[in-house]
Amino acid sequence: MAYFLGILLMALLAVVQSSVLARFPFLEGTPNLILLACVSWALTGRVVEAMLWAFFGGLFLDLLSGAPFGVSSMALVVAVYLASLTEGRFWEAHPLAPLGVVAIASIVYYGLTLAAVWLGGHPVDPTLALTQVILPSTFLNLLLALPASQLAGRVRQAAFPPPVRMG
Amino acid sequence: MSRTSSRALLALTLVLIAGGLLILNLGGYLQAAQGLALRPLGGIQGWISQRVLALRTLLTSPTDLAELTAENQRLQAEVARLEREVIALREQANEAEVLAGLLGYARTRPESRYVAARVIGQDVSPFIRSIWIGQGSDAGVQQGMPVVTERGLVGRVAEVYSTVSRVQLITDPESVVNVRLQTSRADGVLRARVNGELWVDLIEQGVSVTPGELVLSSGLGGAFPEDIPVGQIVTVRKRDYELFQQAVVQASADLDNLEIVLVIANFQPTVPPGAP
Repeated sequence: MAYFLGILLMALLAVVQSSVLARFPFLEGTPNLILLACVSWALTGRVVEAMLWAFFGGLFLDLLSGAPFGVSSMALVVAVYLASLTEGRFWEAHPLAPLGVVAIASIVYYGLTLAAVWLGGHPVDPTLALTQVILPSTFLNLLLALPASQLAGRVRQAAFPPPVRMG
Repeated sequence: MSRTSSRALLALTLVLIAGGLLILNLGGYLQAAQGLALRPLGGIQGWISQRVLALRTLLTSPTDLAELTAENQRLQAEVARLEREVIALREQANEAEVLAGLLGYARTRPESRYVAARVIGQDVSPFIRSIWIGQGSDAGVQQGMPVVTERGLVGRVAEVYSTVSRVQLITDPESVVNVRLQTSRADGVLRARVNGELWVDLIEQGVSVTPGELVLSSGLGGAFPEDIPVGQIVTVRKRDYELFQQAVVQASADLDNLEIVLVIANFQPTVPPGAP
């Protein structure tokens, strides 16, 4: 059920990303809602779901983009996998850990997307792309990283409460 | 198998599937499936986009908002219903204003046939500048058709599905437009950087280019009709040791706030999108 609802949520977030966020650009960019949702969900420990959401979320993003189909999907799965590697580390429970994870995931995601777009024949100046697109977008993702991880944590608690041993 | 390696395996599997989809898409095998998936997504996009535009219009008109508030106070019993009605009417008035502008433009070029289309979304990739419009092959839109507003050139149709199309903006780094400067009559090539900044390159050194000069499409190469306003020169960069001079251009059309555009439906480009 969580898989199915998650995929529907990803479709909705992709449409919101295209139709709503794009109308309100901030710092010449917009945060990536699907990246934030998937990484935040992975940080709650539901890594397999997060990866599948990333896969389908990426496909929805690619449907609404001129980028080669499948590229966002690949980049998001890699970003979520990297985020999942934090599980079990001693600093995992640090309240600021989502910031570091989202920063790395964002840079990996935008870097991979940029590489794919460039390989697809799209002329992109890497310096301008870094300073005018990747860094502002990563910053916007960072601004929303803590609220997103808090929200994901609460949803996780509500939807999948930890088992309680009786007696 | 440990949890870490099973996750790595899952990630690898998903990446490989995505890679497979990428290859299938490059071969053109997913066009029909994408069109099918875009039907409901395009519908939702259009619905959300209309409401967001109405809300934005409401939020960005403080005078009108005060009027609305006063009206709400007078008609407290019907507040909710009237608010919805006012928002809808405001949107219609706004749309009528845009359409009137577009109609005026269309009348100045009676030789062209237009398809009006609502902008329903923008490209979600930060590296690609394109918009989604709510008209597709069902309305006669074809790949390569130029897209304009009453203020100037917007871009051209890059992808077409049955009910929606993707328009590559002139601010996309892949876009190339052959242009002519109105006063100096110099030819050049309009390109964009990844941040959307527009440049006219390949202007001959001997030509005197001044800020404020109008940039028009030249029609060379057959990708766009000639004499469509593209923008205005903002600054000129001229270096003695370079073969050509360049100029920064401000686009005529407000490409960040497009609501309705016109597709020139009877212009058949002779080159695919991306080529000059």
